[in-house]
Amino acid sequence: MGKYLLRRILQMIPVVLGTTFLVYALVFFLPGDPVKAMFGDKPINEAVAAQIRAEYHLDQPFIIQYFIYLKNALTLDFGNTFAGQPVIDEITRAFPVTIKLGLMAFVFEAIFGVVFGIISGLKKGKWYDTVILIVSLLLISVPTFVTGFVLQYLLGIKWSILPVTAGSDPTFLDLLMPAMVLGSVSMAYIIRLTRAEISSNIAEDYVRTARAKGMGNGQVMLRHVLRNSLIPVVTYLGQDIGALMGGAMITEQIFNIHGIGFLTYQSILKGEANLVVSIVTLLMLVFVVCNLIVDMLYAALDPRIRYA
Amino acid sequence: MTENVNSDLRAMQKEHGPLLEVSHLAIDFTTDTGKAVHAVRDSSFSVYPGQWVAIVGESGSGKSTSAMAVLGLLPGTGHVVGGSIKLDGKEIAGAKQSEFDKLRGTKMGLVPQDPMSNLNPVWRIGTQVKEALKANNMDVAHEKRSSLAKALAAGEAAVQLKGNDDETFLGSKELPELMDAAKKALNAAGVTGEAFDKAVAGFESEWVPGSETRWRVADDLIKAGVASEQAWSIAKKYVLGATMDDRIAGLLSEAGLPDAATRARQYPHEFSGGMRQRALIAIGLACRPDLLIADEPTSALDVTVQKRILDHLRMLTDNLGTAVLFITHDLGLAAERAQHIVVMYKGQVVESGPSLEVLQHPQHPYTKRLVAAAPSLASQRLISAHERGENVDALLEHKVAGEAALDKSEHIITVDHLVREFKLPRKKEMFKAVDDVSFSVKRGTTLAIVGESGSGKSTVANMVLHLLQPTSGKVFYEGRDTSTFNAKDLLNFRRHVQPVFQNPYGSLDPMYSIYRSIEEPLRIHKIGDNKSREKRVRELLDMVEMPQSVMGRYPNELSGGQRQRIAIARAMALDPDVIVCDEAVSALDVLVQDQVLRLLNDLQAEKGLSYLFITHDLAVVRQIADEVVVMQHGRLVEHATTDEVFNNPKMQYTRDLLDAIPGGKLQLGLD
Repeated sequence: MGKYLLRRILQMIPVVLGTTFLVYALVFFLPGDPVKAMFGDKPINEAVAAQIRAEYHLDQPFIIQYFIYLKNALTLDFGNTFAGQPVIDEITRAFPVTIKLGLMAFVFEAIFGVVFGIISGLKKGKWYDTVILIVSLLLISVPTFVTGFVLQYLLGIKWSILPVTAGSDPTFLDLLMPAMVLGSVSMAYIIRLTRAEISSNIAEDYVRTARAKGMGNGQVMLRHVLRNSLIPVVTYLGQDIGALMGGAMITEQIFNIHGIGFLTYQSILKGEANLVVSIVTLLMLVFVVCNLIVDMLYAALDPRIRYA
Repeated sequence: MTENVNSDLRAMQKEHGPLLEVSHLAIDFTTDTGKAVHAVRDSSFSVYPGQWVAIVGESGSGKSTSAMAVLGLLPGTGHVVGGSIKLDGKEIAGAKQSEFDKLRGTKMGLVPQDPMSNLNPVWRIGTQVKEALKANNMDVAHEKRSSLAKALAAGEAAVQLKGNDDETFLGSKELPELMDAAKKALNAAGVTGEAFDKAVAGFESEWVPGSETRWRVADDLIKAGVASEQAWSIAKKYVLGATMDDRIAGLLSEAGLPDAATRARQYPHEFSGGMRQRALIAIGLACRPDLLIADEPTSALDVTVQKRILDHLRMLTDNLGTAVLFITHDLGLAAERAQHIVVMYKGQVVESGPSLEVLQHPQHPYTKRLVAAAPSLASQRLISAHERGENVDALLEHKVAGEAALDKSEHIITVDHLVREFKLPRKKEMFKAVDDVSFSVKRGTTLAIVGESGSGKSTVANMVLHLLQPTSGKVFYEGRDTSTFNAKDLLNFRRHVQPVFQNPYGSLDPMYSIYRSIEEPLRIHKIGDNKSREKRVRELLDMVEMPQSVMGRYPNELSGGQRQRIAIARAMALDPDVIVCDEAVSALDVLVQDQVLRLLNDLQAEKGLSYLFITHDLAVVRQIADEVVVMQHGRLVEHATTDEVFNNPKMQYTRDLLDAIPGGKLQLGLD
């Protein structure tokens, strides 16, 4: 187990290097000159521009810039934005908001996804099973921003139940609607996954054996159907934490939430290579760690799986 | 069991009346379109307390469906539409699931068919036994014994059973102290030397915590020479009741699992098929049901394991006075194990009666066919249509002589000192799956390789087929070393040596039509044009006695036996010299098995084919093989002609295999 963990952690090194390199290259080769953009409508002062370029090493070739970034990152210095703010400050300001949003979305999709999935799976063919299936299909097929706008209109404007947008320092209530929107697609997948797992597990031979032991229906469902059905659902949920962080970009735009997704979008527009690469690396680390936890969890949930 | 007890048993059965009485039962399944499919019609049978009754029939005959209806566990859309099921005189057909919950476990237990899928992979074995005990609020400190079992035990034991206290289980905590006290008592009673050792060894094997009761401990002590009063006082002092864990281990150990306390903490995937089946037997009997329904409990297991498990189940149910409804497709097995046989065919009971009576004087044509087809009852090699009446040996000699004239080697396949090693995960040393095996297959004859699973017989087959490289040793085809074959030789070799695999469900591509499956080898070897290939496929279908109309159909539309015929047709497509059959009939029902064996045999006579026949079932060997190679743990332990192996086996292992043939020793009195 320890050996396996070490191997998995070592595997992260090439992943981090590869991702940072790719993202850095993408931002570098983005059309447009960020320094020129800083002057806006004013005429460009070549001397000042050259000074800024030198300060941010923008006059160096791409590969040198990348290595300078890496070298500084090792000492946890992620550089400054063009506005002079340390990158690390920007991230620590935005990240808690996204974590809050992500966790709310996670709880939302986990609870409603599993509950509706169980109802649907146990009562296949009933009218509410059909309704749940249609709604989940709708949520999967409609893009998030459409779901977002529809909810904004209905819950925010028409019925005025929830705030339409969130500000820079959002409260729980501010984030409730965004979290529902963010978690909606995954919730729909979880409903379908739970439903499929339950309806296939219920026909397993060991469920019949359990009934033959004289166990009551509730116990059989709990111990033999649900327990086995939730293994793939739990692994899906674990992997989804990382995806929620990344997926927050669209949701945060719609609801004007100043989280990581919002920050990423802004910094891509401004060509802030340091900021973009730092955020993406962070998200990637979250994703990889989540994956590792899921794999560990999988072994704990399913005794047939052992890591060596 | 003594004669005396036997007659007691019969008297009690008579007095009690039937434990289970099924009369005019009818079961329907509803299809998607709402149409009713009649699965069981007008079937009646009864089971008396302590009796073994077998229901025999092919798959789809409604035997399992009838049994599941008794348990209230009909799958899917199945439901009882008529007749009655009475358990202990109480009508249970159409009862609610909650009422069945009360009956299942305590009144009726189940030992299911497939040990691989009937245990939940995520719970420990012990936990799954515990569920059965918990669900029925079983008292784990005391044995529950039926009146029948009590009466039987009273005949054997030297002690008088008084009350429930005497049924208290031994706990693991008190075992060491009990053992010490027992040794002291033996010393005091003047038991010394060999008698002492023997008595102690007996205690050690008998006194299983959670299974051995107070009166048995006392009984054992008295039998070993301890005075009655002292024996009882020791038993009362140290046998104080078992914990839940003790009881679980006790149950598992009763079912024949060694080292049960440790085993109980393991998961199903750490168990072999036979061990899982033992765990399922422990679960089925955990709450001491009056009736145990055993649904093909050993069909998925090797014959030797099957014998051990059924022997054990027999002993257990006899001790507990449990009646068993035993479902099987093998008439020989049924006749050997049950006192009463019920034959089902197409949802109806066509015949029922005492086992030997049914076997010796079958009335219904279907039963007659079953008796004729049961491999376990067959006593000699099948004789093909051409050869009927001729002496096989003479025929073989004739053939061999004829071929010598053709200047071809007599041995078509020769295997020389074959060794195959595999690397095991997390282990340094290599595992020898096949260890120095040599034999040869004579042209136009059948050589069978027999052994349990894990004996390396399939590995040998794969090496003969050149699908697996031997670690050392050689395989010769027509006198040529197959390892020296180049690509062209190999293609030619593949054309002449064809496999038929065990699983007819897995060896046909589900996306290929039957026509395409059979035609594929012809296309690969670029034989003929479209038109001639189609003609050949039609011929092949005729050869395996399948209608030509199946050409456009797909494997999932055919039954197991039909698929195996298609697999044989495909193997025959290229006019091979050798067919390697790897458990080719093991997955089939007896009647279908018989048909396929006859087909193979007729093809051999017509085409002069040679077969390498891999199987774990010696009964099949007798029907098809001329020579037998017995393998155990990767080694060749015996090699002789079929008659020699059957009449005069040299190795103990071969004798064990022969003993394991169900019904092998039944005297039929048939001609």
